[in-house]
Amino acid sequence: MPEPHSQLTDLERERYDRQLGDGVLSEEGQLRLKNSTALITRVGGMGGPASLMLTMAGVGRVIIAHGGDMISPDLNRQVLGSEAVLGQPRAPDFGNYLRSMNRFVEVEAIGSEPNDEEARELAQRCDIILACPPTFEERLRLNRVSVEAGIPFIDAAQWGMTGTLIVCRPGETACLQCVYPTPPPFEEFFPVVGAISSAIGSLAALEAVKILSGTGKPMWNKMYTYDGYQGRTTTVDLTRNPDCPCCGQL
Amino acid sequence: MKIQVVVTGRSYHLADDIPAEIELSDDATLDSALADINGRLGEQPLPDSCLIAVAGKHVGSIAQHADSPLREGDEIVLIAPVAGG
Repeated sequence: MPEPHSQLTDLERERYDRQLGDGVLSEEGQLRLKNSTALITRVGGMGGPASLMLTMAGVGRVIIAHGGDMISPDLNRQVLGSEAVLGQPRAPDFGNYLRSMNRFVEVEAIGSEPNDEEARELAQRCDIILACPPTFEERLRLNRVSVEAGIPFIDAAQWGMTGTLIVCRPGETACLQCVYPTPPPFEEFFPVVGAISSAIGSLAALEAVKILSGTGKPMWNKMYTYDGYQGRTTTVDLTRNPDCPCCGQL
Repeated sequence: MKIQVVVTGRSYHLADDIPAEIELSDDATLDSALADINGRLGEQPLPDSCLIAVAGKHVGSIAQHADSPLREGDEIVLIAPVAGG
């Protein structure tokens, strides 16, 4: 692990000027962000804007993981991509785009979704995980390694014009497996409007910024739903499962 | 009694014909409310994985929950899981 930074540079203070002050981040909070590492997987509709917002906010190290090549249907929502990336592997280009947005942030771009062992290794060097993949199998894997590592976990999900956000702290809140003891069915070709992807991804990033910087009140143990189709938001308090095979022993 | 109903998540588009408030018998329980709601949904009932919250608190899923009495004014939120990335 690198030595933590003891202060912001003048150039960093200038960059983050609009997010420092009352009601936003303190300088200490910004420094905590600088000394933090976030893992975002995957970085499509929601993970893309989430990783972009975390990079622009000044999280010191942003790790993204996403396999495969960019295809045309991705471009209705994947803000890290562009026409120029069609047919190309996503991760290297997405990583370069993030680096172009903030030279004060280190970006690590991994060109595949982590398996169990890789996810466990990544969790050990992260302070938070944002799960934005399309399968519950991947989400539950990321949840499991976050519980093992004892780090916060944010689940962002979407369908059509609706999205959900779940914010977990191992040992204190429900974990994703408490909510979904059995993985719901996988739906490969789900419909989605890019605006909901960006909204939910950005909210996931906001929760991460709050948690990492120690600012405000994170939505611990909540499931937040923004239903754009019906123009409605709902927030539900989650319940820990004392028999949860993932977190029940904590 | 009257209870509030919110159908959201993956199945929100099925809820167009579900009223925001439904009237049940005074001894209604969660299961009788779910039967009423599914009856209104017709051929596309809520999936087993659909999460249930009563009065703002998650109580399980369609497939796995404990039946419990409802109270006047309770809100039932039904959230069919979404996982798109």
